[in-house]
Amino acid sequence: MKNFLRNISYTLIMLAFATGLAFIFFHFVKDNTANIALVYILALILIARWTTGYLYGIFSSLFCVIFINGFFTYPFFEINFTMNGYPITFVCMLIITITTSAMTTKLTRQDEMIAERERKLNDAEKERIRANLLRAISHDLRTPLTSIIGSSASYIENHDELNSDEKLQLITSIHDDSNWLLNMVENLLSVTRIQEDSHKVSKEPEIVEEVVSEAIDRLEKRMPDALIKVSAPDEILMIPMDFLLIEQVLINLLENALVHSQTTQPVELIITNDDAYVTFHVIDHGKGIDTSALPDIFSGKYDSSLASDTKRGMGIGLSICRTIIQAHGGTITAHNHENGAEFAFSLPIV
Amino acid sequence: MTTPNYTVLIIEDEKNISDFMSKALKSNGYRVITALSGKAGLSLISSQCPDIVLLDLGLPDIEGNDIITSVRKWTSCPIIVVSARTGEKDKVAALDLGADDYITKPFGTPEMLARIRASLRHSNRMDSNSALYIRPYQCRGLLLDFDKRMLTVNGEEVHLTQIEYKIVAFLARNSGKVMTYSAIMSNVWGPFTGDNNRILRVNMANIRRKIEQNPSQPQFLFTEVGVGYRMREDENELC
Repeated sequence: MKNFLRNISYTLIMLAFATGLAFIFFHFVKDNTANIALVYILALILIARWTTGYLYGIFSSLFCVIFINGFFTYPFFEINFTMNGYPITFVCMLIITITTSAMTTKLTRQDEMIAERERKLNDAEKERIRANLLRAISHDLRTPLTSIIGSSASYIENHDELNSDEKLQLITSIHDDSNWLLNMVENLLSVTRIQEDSHKVSKEPEIVEEVVSEAIDRLEKRMPDALIKVSAPDEILMIPMDFLLIEQVLINLLENALVHSQTTQPVELIITNDDAYVTFHVIDHGKGIDTSALPDIFSGKYDSSLASDTKRGMGIGLSICRTIIQAHGGTITAHNHENGAEFAFSLPIV
Repeated sequence: MTTPNYTVLIIEDEKNISDFMSKALKSNGYRVITALSGKAGLSLISSQCPDIVLLDLGLPDIEGNDIITSVRKWTSCPIIVVSARTGEKDKVAALDLGADDYITKPFGTPEMLARIRASLRHSNRMDSNSALYIRPYQCRGLLLDFDKRMLTVNGEEVHLTQIEYKIVAFLARNSGKVMTYSAIMSNVWGPFTGDNNRILRVNMANIRRKIEQNPSQPQFLFTEVGVGYRMREDENELC
């Protein structure tokens, strides 16, 4: 209905405009039938181009022929269908409109087809990413679960033969793996806090040191031996963020540094600020990042090829970090320094 | 450990979790009763009069918050809520309805025991008179003398503003227990302060700068995300 109204009003406006122009020509210039016909043809082409279907074009060409015949050719203000060459004018006008209309229809259909194909490609791409993520997660979840089930089963089956050291070892590995699983699940849960379509998060002003202390507190519950040194500017920094998400990023980066650096030196968390950004630097003094892995480190692909020998889950954790930081309008980077690795992310102050 | 024989009621529908909690509590000298549903829990509270209740918020039959409301109509027996991590709003709602504290799943035994201890202590204090209030708060070199309104860290006096002192004193009196933003604000500024907790948080940041060595790794004043603050347990009362 809306479409119909749009088409009809467009048609009427074009015709009125052309008629107006034709009257002006007719009054000021003598013997100008050719130009008047041209004005009408132009109007016809435009109508055929910008309306849908053939109906409006055909109606308009009929209207034009009658008008030209009635007002602008001798005898004026009289309809005379016996005039010489009249059928030719009519047929020509009809052909012009029908051809243009046909072209327009085809164009529109092609546009639609292209849009459709693009959407399908997009969906397929999303589907592929999701499938990859699911595959990576299932793989990552299965490994610790296997170890938990295996350890507990061997405890149940052999608990009479095991000495207390062996028992403790089994239970410790169950404990470690479950803790790792917990962090993984929390990572995944945190992603659901980011709105799927707009990639936006709900931000509230938060005090930086509260986030940092909470993150370290939670990490130390899982890794009581963790050594972390924090230095922050003395002023009170308040930046808009989703507390739980940024906490998760800090936990991921700090845990990465503690686990992968393979050193006993403490991990440093240094917070700096300038006018526009607050930057969190997580610096370890360990073996650094494999340079070949650096460019892809946030893409989630990192350990899919090396999964068997590297510590699991680093890839997903980092790609989640990037998603979170980007949703906050910030940036995250990774590079090696003289002796170790540094991850840094910045959040806008306003 | 010599705990007087306190009775703990666990209301939790997951059998595994309930078992693990009761094992840990029994081995620490508590008497434990368990309920697998809200209805059973409510009737056990009235028939057994437990000293403390551990309540899971996600029960199949009754909303956890409804249980708190109905229990609070007739007893002040401490309730500790057990909840999932991301439900800050649920926690705040439960605390505002009268729950004493919460633990977040998954939790370790020491954490659970510490929460139970703190809540029991505060409920006992209400029964006796306020004599204990007068005893100074002491923890790791931090001493808060409520009589003299004086705070010292490692023997050095720390100057707090009026508001800052009120906040610290309130948290110290309730040390070991979480205090919601709204509870602190109505205690310090009066009941009609509104919902904006920004002023409290800025004050808190200032207090941390005065008494903590490194505000990013606090020793005394802990943040509970989206809920409020908790002050480290008074050392005098840990035993």
